[in-house]
Amino acid sequence: MNAIETENLKVWYGDKLVIKGVNLEIPEKTVFAIMGPSGCGKSTLLRAFNRLLELNEIARVEGDVKLYGKSVYEMDEVVVRRKIGMVFQIPNPFPHMSIYDNIALGVRYNKIAKNRKEIDKIVEWSLKKAALWEEVKDRLKDKASNLSGGQMQRLCIARALALRPEVLLMDEPTANLDPVSAKKIEELIFELKKELTIVIVTHSPAQAARVSDYVAFLYLGELVEVGKTEEIFEKPKNELTEKYLTGRMG
Amino acid sequence: MRRFKDHLFLVYLVASTIFVVLPLFHILFCVFANGLPVLMKGGMNFLTGVLPAPGDGLGGIGPAIVGTLVLTVLATLMGLPIAVLTGIFSAEYPNSLIGRATRTLLLIMMEFPTILVGLFVMNILVIPLGSYSALAGALALAIVMMPYVAVYTEQALKDVPSRYREGAFALGLRRRTVVKILMSMARKGVVTGILIGIAKVAGETAPLLFTAGGSYTVYFQGINRPIGAVPLLIYQLVQQPYQNYHEIAWGASLVLMLIFLAIFLPIRLSLKEVKL
Ligand SMILES: Nc1ncnc2c1ncn2[C@@H]1O[C@H](COP(=O)(O)OP(=O)(O)OP(=O)(O)O)[C@@H](O)[C@H]1O
Ligand SMILES: [Mg+2]
Repeated sequence: MNAIETENLKVWYGDKLVIKGVNLEIPEKTVFAIMGPSGCGKSTLLRAFNRLLELNEIARVEGDVKLYGKSVYEMDEVVVRRKIGMVFQIPNPFPHMSIYDNIALGVRYNKIAKNRKEIDKIVEWSLKKAALWEEVKDRLKDKASNLSGGQMQRLCIARALALRPEVLLMDEPTANLDPVSAKKIEELIFELKKELTIVIVTHSPAQAARVSDYVAFLYLGELVEVGKTEEIFEKPKNELTEKYLTGRMG
Repeated sequence: MRRFKDHLFLVYLVASTIFVVLPLFHILFCVFANGLPVLMKGGMNFLTGVLPAPGDGLGGIGPAIVGTLVLTVLATLMGLPIAVLTGIFSAEYPNSLIGRATRTLLLIMMEFPTILVGLFVMNILVIPLGSYSALAGALALAIVMMPYVAVYTEQALKDVPSRYREGAFALGLRRRTVVKILMSMARKGVVTGILIGIAKVAGETAPLLFTAGGSYTVYFQGINRPIGAVPLLIYQLVQQPYQNYHEIAWGASLVLMLIFLAIFLPIRLSLKEVKL
């Protein structure tokens, strides 16, 4: 079963076409890596999946994105974003809120828990899932801004997981982290794919090789190559992909 | 030679800074030097008493102080909610027709001669009601205050990095909730804007000239009756040829300055900044 499918997806910013008719199938419970040079449209593609593009007034979308066979553009956008969580390149927990509240917020507003006790449970569960519980269990009331960058990113993963998403989008989640923190997140990705589908944008072929099951290579808004990670790394069919993987292209 | 030029520039900088700051200190100094003796002489009665007859001692400026408080509170009640909402709207929908129109309009309003605001309110309120009133004064002040609050609110919201906006929406929050979160992150800027708005109108004279009317021998009589204000009182007193009125004006100036500082300092100091 595919978690996400796109049908001839096109995105414009103003009159500039940046995603030029992408057809993609992302199988469920896998890690799907999207690679490509800077500016090729990776972030844009992710934001079309969870309809975050709608925040940008000049963005326009054509074609379709399906979540388990159902068009996200026919669903309530709030539901879409609950089912398709997202983690960003720069960790963005709300700095003025506590660690606890950062997670509880989405849980409360999406009516996932009924009372305080249930929220407590979900906070603990998601922090454990994000491998952060041991480090913060005694300081849940601390401000999120007091965490390290790596901890902040795991908090962001935790607050996304708390909504029990079916898909988790990660836009270069380790790009701003030190190697140790990055490794922790990679390990986490490996654990999480047992339960949900992960779509990760990465600039590092090595990271894609380590964590992903499938790779898609995007170039100037077009899908150049898709396939099983080991096959693509072993024998890329497209010349551009090969150039990129061997580091001969930005 | 190079060294010399650097020095010269430094001297020039310091001199021009002094030149700019000096008048400000001069004003502060004058107000204190002339106002303090009046306050000392008048004592508590200067703050609570009413305006005396010409040549009849110091009396007090109680009605004017209360008037300023009443006008400021009323103006804030009227102007603040609309202004904050306007600021939020133009930050959230910057490219919408209304968003663009409001922003231009706000910037014009900020520069708009406040005396014309007074004339406008006189036309729509004072003339139809047949009397100067606290309501008219407060409306004029509210109009003066709104653009400051709105523009500061908008800017404070825009200064919150967009990744927090995206992060909030990505959690499946509705716009209303997202705005609430962003407002709590932007609160320092918003509160500063509100304070500037309040401080601005607490010291305004021109919008009150044709609206509040002034009332200094009796205390607040209702929002449909004329009302006094400290700056308006100063303006009216210095035009009179009486020695005791001039003294009262100096005392009132000091009070006005203290009110001004009292609005600004404590809240500015206690306001915690959100680390972004
Ligand atoms: N808000 C925007 N308005 C206009 N154009 C945009 C906007 N965001 C992105 N673009 C353009 O769309 C194209 C794709 O951008 P996108 O951010 O999706 O690329 P990316 O592959 O994620 O790049 P990077 O690897 O640098 O993050 C780029 O040419 C970019 O300049
Ligand atoms: Mg990107």
